[in-house]
Amino acid sequence: MFGYMGKILRIDLTNRKIIEEPLEESVARKFIGGRGLGAHILFNELKPGIDPLGPENKLVIATGVITGIPFPGNSGLNVMAKSPLTGIWGEATSKGFFGPELKAAGYDAIIIKGKAEKPVYLWIHDGEVEIRDASHLWGKPTREVQKIIKAELKDDRAQVGCIGIGGENLVKFANIMLGFNHFAGRTGMGAVMGSKNLKAIAVRGTGKVRYANEEKLVDLLLQKLISKEALNGPYFPDGLFKYGSLADLDYWQETGRLPTKNFRKSLFSGYANLTAETLTDSSYIIRHNTCPHCTVGCNRVTKANTPYQLNPEYALPEYESTAALSTLCMNDNLVAALKAIELCNKYGIDTMSTGVTIAFAMECYEKGLIMKKDTEGLDLTWGNHEAIVQLVEQIAKRQGIGNLLAEGSRKVAEKLGGGTEDFAMHVKGMEFPLHDVRGMKGHGLGIATSNRGACHLQVETDDMFEGQLAPDIGIDEKTFPKEHRDRLYAGPEKVKIVKIIGDLFAMFDSLVICKWTTYPCGGYKTQTLADVVAVATGWNFTIDELMKTGERIINLCRAFNVREGITRKDDKLPKRFSEPLPEGPYKGEAFSEDVFEGMLTQLYKLRGWDEKTGVPTRKKLEELELRYVADDLETLGKLPSEKRKK
Amino acid sequence: MSDKFVICNSDKCLGCGICEFVCSATKERKLDPEFSRIRQVNFEPVGSMAIACLLCEEPACVAVCLRDALFKDEKGVIRIDEYKCNGCGWCIRACPFGAITLHPTKKVAMTCDLCDGDPECVKHCPFEDALEYATLEEIAHKLRKEAVDNILRVIKSGAKGSS
Repeated sequence: MFGYMGKILRIDLTNRKIIEEPLEESVARKFIGGRGLGAHILFNELKPGIDPLGPENKLVIATGVITGIPFPGNSGLNVMAKSPLTGIWGEATSKGFFGPELKAAGYDAIIIKGKAEKPVYLWIHDGEVEIRDASHLWGKPTREVQKIIKAELKDDRAQVGCIGIGGENLVKFANIMLGFNHFAGRTGMGAVMGSKNLKAIAVRGTGKVRYANEEKLVDLLLQKLISKEALNGPYFPDGLFKYGSLADLDYWQETGRLPTKNFRKSLFSGYANLTAETLTDSSYIIRHNTCPHCTVGCNRVTKANTPYQLNPEYALPEYESTAALSTLCMNDNLVAALKAIELCNKYGIDTMSTGVTIAFAMECYEKGLIMKKDTEGLDLTWGNHEAIVQLVEQIAKRQGIGNLLAEGSRKVAEKLGGGTEDFAMHVKGMEFPLHDVRGMKGHGLGIATSNRGACHLQVETDDMFEGQLAPDIGIDEKTFPKEHRDRLYAGPEKVKIVKIIGDLFAMFDSLVICKWTTYPCGGYKTQTLADVVAVATGWNFTIDELMKTGERIINLCRAFNVREGITRKDDKLPKRFSEPLPEGPYKGEAFSEDVFEGMLTQLYKLRGWDEKTGVPTRKKLEELELRYVADDLETLGKLPSEKRKK
Repeated sequence: MSDKFVICNSDKCLGCGICEFVCSATKERKLDPEFSRIRQVNFEPVGSMAIACLLCEEPACVAVCLRDALFKDEKGVIRIDEYKCNGCGWCIRACPFGAITLHPTKKVAMTCDLCDGDPECVKHCPFEDALEYATLEEIAHKLRKEAVDNILRVIKSGAKGSS
């Protein structure tokens, strides 16, 4: 089989069993890799209702068919398991040097189950696999673990993915650091590793992927993918390189949608201290950073001495992290936000969930639902950056109030009660991204219906299509006329885009490729990506197949969630968004439940899901060649009955 | 005057490796960096650099070849006589920069030939000034300019401050 290494590695940590099995071409074509492959494996192999932190949960690390082909954005992998944060489909995508190296080491994917008796790490190199002792690494911060392992293995080109103490302490949103500045950040995949006593995975290889037509692939890359004209959208080439994703902070402030004070406000008075320009002009940035073969270079490494000493090995800012730990908590001290990011990365906890949970705690403090005696004297007044930095420490170490916050906002709200659920900013248990969806209705629907909880990377629709359309995936003047290209528009045309982009992005996470370089407006043309897959694999791969595969993957993940009890009632936004925005260009704008429910019904209709329950129908599942999924849901009594049709 | 060669500025290079790909793609129509004449080294988190042949005045690789397979042409480029080379690897061990390597399939030495004076890697490098095609004199001149520019800026800002 071309384009893949053709092998999957299975490791059972309980009895130290290591098995290699082939990746069947039929499975590869149907599910591609990354998210698709992981969904296929986890749907088939996990029983519903298992404990996400028990040995029976499986951690799947899967690369995609084009992972490692040298062009921008194309270095991804997906880490998946049942999520300890949400109790449903868990998934975190990462780019960087780890994915291509895993493939070179001989495997398209690794599946890990069981629990090691004592801390271990995996050393996977050119088809050889060792389970090694990691007792000496337990308790150590992420970067140190990487250094020690590389020295121990005498191979500085090994790529190490590891957890920090956050994962060890089963912080529900612990992440995995992969290589230098990349993280499988969300849904608590680090806690799953921690629960298995698995501290790290080191990969290194010299294997080569065989491509169906390497010469044609070379031409395609040179002509269409790495030429300077290839990435010519609004973000490229200067924007992202010059300012990084932090440029979003300026954009959201200008357009009055900057999440501030736990989404109570949408403009931040202290924002001038935090902008991308401020960071770029400051002396804090010591260098930019990039993923393999990427011409964008959106990452940056920072350093500072006051008011906090920053360690450049961890202080790696980007928009979501920075906003979560600054504007959302009313903190206008940039270096403090960077310090909080540094600590998150050092201890291996998700910056976004951490920031959103801290903001939630601050609101509870303001309202007297968390008292000074609960925080052991820590003053959680809005904007107190010393408290923010302190809380990051406490969450990772599960000390004091941090022990509660480490459970994630949903659990904290359950514990505190008193109406706190109304302003706990999460969907299905995962903390909200830093996007105020009152001013972008399509995006709101996307976040509310995302399979992994509140995620901004499953669908993006509103601002994206203001300049350019994407006729090759069915978004043209006819389906999406100008009068509907308004951010606040919530009609059927917008809902249709939510479905199309959802399918497309599901495919991106399966290929696995970065969304910066593939935004249908400005990034690569979808046709070009289909061509890459076709040339690499030798399959006759078209845009239609690409979109249909994306839809199949969405439905499979949805079915996984349905088995875990997800229904229509879980596809909702936090109550706060039905409160009107108090200021800025969108002053008075709310996302009312009526509007939302209307959009949701339309989306279910388009998706072929039962309108009452939000469960995929047998007809839809069979159309997507997922008959066995329909059978499984039927056995569990979860499949919607078709009676109403008669 | 010295010859032009491919120079990487470690403070501008981000270690993406596009240069390796472009080299192996244009020279060998392969995706494999082992076919590249320019190679990337990443030192996380502080630095990255790509290295190609530096066109030494008295190249050690040429000096150590027992079969006279290596020679320097009139432009300073190291040429390899693929019939004479038996892939023994002495030249690779002699080069202090790791800038000469073994062709993975032909098993003979290979090094940068500057693409006949128009290096593809430099053309495709995405990050400004990370790769340059220049002589040592041009590089030195640029550094002098930067130094003077810095000094002038310090003087100017000092003048402003005192006014």
